[in-house]
Amino acid sequence: MKQISERLLVAGFIGTTFLIAILFFILPQQRFSELENRYLQAAPQLTWDNLISKKFAEEAESFITDHFPFRDKWLWVKSTSEQARLQQENNGIYNGKDGYLFEKFLEPDYTKVQQYTESVNQFASKHPEVNMTFMLAPTSIGLYPERLPWLAPSYPQREVNRFIGHQMEDEITFIDGFDVLTPHASESIYYRTDHHWTTYGAYLAYVAYAEQKGWQPLSQQDFLIETVSDSFLGSYHTRSQFTGLTPDFIEVYKPRDSAPTEMYIADSNQTLTGMYDESFLAKKDQYSYFLGGVHALMKLTTELDSQQVAQDKLLVIKDSYAHNVLPFLTNHVSEIHVIDLRYYNGSITDYLNENGIKDVLFLFNTATLVEDASLLKLN
Amino acid sequence: MSLVFYAWGEPVYIVIMLVSTLTDYCFGLLLDKPNMTSVKRKGIVACSVIVNLMLLSYFKYADFLIQNVNALIGTNIPLTELPLPIGISFYTFQSMSYIIDVYRGTAKAQRNWIDFGTYVALFPQLVAGPIVKYSTIAEQLKHRSENMKMFAEGVRRFTIGLSKKVLLANNIGLLWDTISSSSPETMPVLTAWLGIIAFAFQIYFDFSGYSDMAIGLGLMFGFRFNENFNKPYIAQSITDFWRRWHISLGSWFREYVYIPLGGNRRGLAIQMRNILIVWMLTGFWHGASWNFILWGLYFGVILIFEKWWGLSLLQRAPRWIRHFYAIILILIGWVLFAFDQPSLIVGYLGAMWGFNGQALWNNETIYFFYTNAVLLIVLIIASVPLKQWPRTSGLSIAHLVWYGFLYLLSVAYLVDATFNPFLYFRF
Repeated sequence: MKQISERLLVAGFIGTTFLIAILFFILPQQRFSELENRYLQAAPQLTWDNLISKKFAEEAESFITDHFPFRDKWLWVKSTSEQARLQQENNGIYNGKDGYLFEKFLEPDYTKVQQYTESVNQFASKHPEVNMTFMLAPTSIGLYPERLPWLAPSYPQREVNRFIGHQMEDEITFIDGFDVLTPHASESIYYRTDHHWTTYGAYLAYVAYAEQKGWQPLSQQDFLIETVSDSFLGSYHTRSQFTGLTPDFIEVYKPRDSAPTEMYIADSNQTLTGMYDESFLAKKDQYSYFLGGVHALMKLTTELDSQQVAQDKLLVIKDSYAHNVLPFLTNHVSEIHVIDLRYYNGSITDYLNENGIKDVLFLFNTATLVEDASLLKLN
Repeated sequence: MSLVFYAWGEPVYIVIMLVSTLTDYCFGLLLDKPNMTSVKRKGIVACSVIVNLMLLSYFKYADFLIQNVNALIGTNIPLTELPLPIGISFYTFQSMSYIIDVYRGTAKAQRNWIDFGTYVALFPQLVAGPIVKYSTIAEQLKHRSENMKMFAEGVRRFTIGLSKKVLLANNIGLLWDTISSSSPETMPVLTAWLGIIAFAFQIYFDFSGYSDMAIGLGLMFGFRFNENFNKPYIAQSITDFWRRWHISLGSWFREYVYIPLGGNRRGLAIQMRNILIVWMLTGFWHGASWNFILWGLYFGVILIFEKWWGLSLLQRAPRWIRHFYAIILILIGWVLFAFDQPSLIVGYLGAMWGFNGQALWNNETIYFFYTNAVLLIVLIIASVPLKQWPRTSGLSIAHLVWYGFLYLLSVAYLVDATFNPFLYFRF
């Protein structure tokens, strides 16, 4: 008996190890992981330089973990066992109540936050002739602290927004996302599995901005609201791989009498008709349906009737929270320039002058703002 | 095979290992020549030890020395900033043990250079020990027996080691990472204790996991290495702890430094000096930084205390007090080990005793506790000796299922290896 079980153990160990190795070589290899929304490591090149610089070994290791046979099943095993041991977070994502996932938000470095705000102030004082509005949206953790796992550490984003609002000079109109969203907190204004707001959340932000500008915002009845996806498991899911979640819906608000919008993407020098890229709905990162994802510089041109035009030109300096807000703005502004400071490296001042722009909207979420230093590139 | 493994991590430094191996191979042969005078033999040993220590100093300690010289006399010598060759602390110590054993006549010189190379670069234990003394393995190099029984034992040992590292050490390490990166000024007492307990578990399961994997792989290839750990956290005193922790390093220093210095045979003062020297070196071996020296001396002082008064005092105390005493001192030791900035050491120790004026605990503490409760219970169970489980001796079906489960779960955690630090990288 003892002999047999020893053989079984050895056979099992060697067998499993070799089976995994064989499957690794015979299974077809994906280039892109839909589940994790990233390109996987390609097979490493064996050259002398690569070998000496350790690049070969490093790439081979990522190649193996990335193309591990049945990778998603293994990830599921890990995530399930983590949940079973009462761990409430994985890779910085909390597994909250009511099916909500949240990105951990801890106390930011206020000296840095002050520098970023200062940078905006300085930019504003250099351009007294330009109207500036700064909208700062909380992420879902800011609005729903009660949905966090029991006693999970988290810092109130409301404090950060208040601090920034206080620091900002009076010539900049500051819109605190909390004031806009809190009255609607019980509605679905955030995706449960992604770090963005829903189209409805974006609609509320649009209404607030329009009212502040003195435009007449469209009511919800002016739109055909369509559900374009009911299978959205967003970035929070990607990072945490928590199981047992209900996918989110993605809605799109199409104006009943709409004017066609042209979208020019400077990065690739492409002009597209329409602001939605349906191909992303079949992928993991469905939020990129809006505007086709992140671009450094874009221009949205809309043929509006003269009585519709509230404004000729607007520059939006933003992070991805703007992607589902911008389509609303095209109902009022005929030429919207969109800059993502994380990827745009030109001078903003030159850009304003060259294009004769007199209105700027800053649109950020609190989490990106405190982590990303790109606002320093303003000046 | 061993060399391929090594070259994988350090393509260039393989040369260093080959040089060190070759010199000691030649020195060993020289020592074995029949007509050597004792002066010459001493000279050869000295040369070998100097070559090995030079290699180690250059790669491990040069920058530490330069930094201190720069700070002391205000010079501005640039740092070498060389990455530490993998396992250099282990293979130089092994080479030295060979030469000294041959010199003392406890082992015969190895004429077969392949066998000698195998000893130095034995890949299972190359990265993190145990440090194998030449005399214990000389016989096995020649008459190695690979059989099913040993291979099965090796598989079990390897699986246990792998799960210790991947399932236990890495996961509790996340808790330590979170706690240690927050500021000690605002840290409640219990969070500080929980943090250092997490570190204690992380370092034990990381290091002993590597040792288990090495011993397991050794068994699969027909070698039997000495044990490196023996449930250190059940120790009843610090003396006891160091008999259970990193045993191969302790016995190396004992055999090749403490005893040659005179050990305990030359009076109290000399013995005390010897203990302090050995423990300073033990600390310094762990890393080129002052906090490791401090950590070593800290244990040296405690051991001296225990030797002359402490142990006899402790004998009179009940068992749980002895255990409590040892654990507290070990945990304080880990604070010295974990931080290399004096301000952080002082701050963290202060937080542990409430000198920062913080409460005993806060909500965060409770969150840390309950989200890690299951893991902590597993860690405690894995740290104490248990009755054999499953109860049958030998391999039952329950064993097979258990090892299969551990192996597959470890693979799952490795596949999602976003967090896989190698704690003993400094050695």
